[in-house]
Amino acid sequence: MNATQRARDASRNVGVDAVGELRVDGQVPDFELLDHAGNRRRLSELVGGDPTVLHFYRGWWCPKEQAFFRRLLALQEDAEVAYSRIVSVSIDPPQVNAAFRAGLGARWTFLSDPDRDVQTQLRLRETTDTLNNPYVPAVVVISPDLRIHAVHNGYWYWGRPTQDELVRHLRDISRELRPDWEAPTP
Amino acid sequence: MSRCWLALVEGPATGADAVARASTTDGHPAGTLAAWRRRAKPVREALRVDERLIDPDGSAAWISLVLPPSGVRLAFDDLAVQQARRLVLLHPFPAGVSTLLRDDSHFAGAITVTHSAAEQRRLRDDPFGRIFPARLLAVEPGILGAVTPPTGPTIERYGSGNPWPWDRFG
Repeated sequence: MNATQRARDASRNVGVDAVGELRVDGQVPDFELLDHAGNRRRLSELVGGDPTVLHFYRGWWCPKEQAFFRRLLALQEDAEVAYSRIVSVSIDPPQVNAAFRAGLGARWTFLSDPDRDVQTQLRLRETTDTLNNPYVPAVVVISPDLRIHAVHNGYWYWGRPTQDELVRHLRDISRELRPDWEAPTP
Repeated sequence: MSRCWLALVEGPATGADAVARASTTDGHPAGTLAAWRRRAKPVREALRVDERLIDPDGSAAWISLVLPPSGVRLAFDDLAVQQARRLVLLHPFPAGVSTLLRDDSHFAGAITVTHSAAEQRRLRDDPFGRIFPARLLAVEPGILGAVTPPTGPTIERYGSGNPWPWDRFG
């Protein structure tokens, strides 16, 4: 059994939820949305060549989201030197996302889906909130080819990934992605 | 990433791929900003720059040009340079930004670009200007384009020889 298989076994049953169209080994569509500064951004360009945490959230107003963002902010301190990326998506308009991002101190890209096009495509509307029609909270970890490595259903807060679980997913993808993962030694 | 060089020169910019005159904010000539896409260093004062920033069709711009004082060398991985990169990601991203490199391991300055008069004042709060002196200059059309904001939160370089925010290996 090689290191990748051992790591997969250790990760079994962590991040294997299915939410809307999101499921492990599926593919996230290469959608285009406006970022927090109003620039049109394509997902594949944002992901580039790195493992990426793609985070769908209800909106700035939700206390659960505010709490979960603190977890992502802690991850940011590692991710900034680990060649990994974070992208957060909500229905909030760019100006709201920009203010929320600035208030949090987040240094990653926030995307806006006010017309709910991507939300509809991915079947991620939270049907129990008919006032806001927000995204149902979900966190997926994807490879540069937009393949889904892990899915966490965040409708109930404890369904969301811990920082350790996110690190484990990012490590698994990095191990497969980086040809020099095994440290070159004499 | 191919090699791309940038320099603010006093005389002619021989062989440059893009050139534009620069002036101070009060209108005095400040030299010629020139860029070269080539492997070999074109002139003594040239520094490596993110090639995406160079656009011969680029419109007029205002820049904050941060350069180290003569004889001063600072490691690229110095905490001050790391924090400046964090602040660039944290704040509204300018039209373009690139760190400048003399070699693989030292920070030799940065250029921050805006094409909008409304955003010109933001250049006075250039995070890289907290490390070394910044000059605010107006640059004529013909050299500076835009760099797509990095996804974040990565502040590391993709390859030690590449200017930040270039965001791909290879």
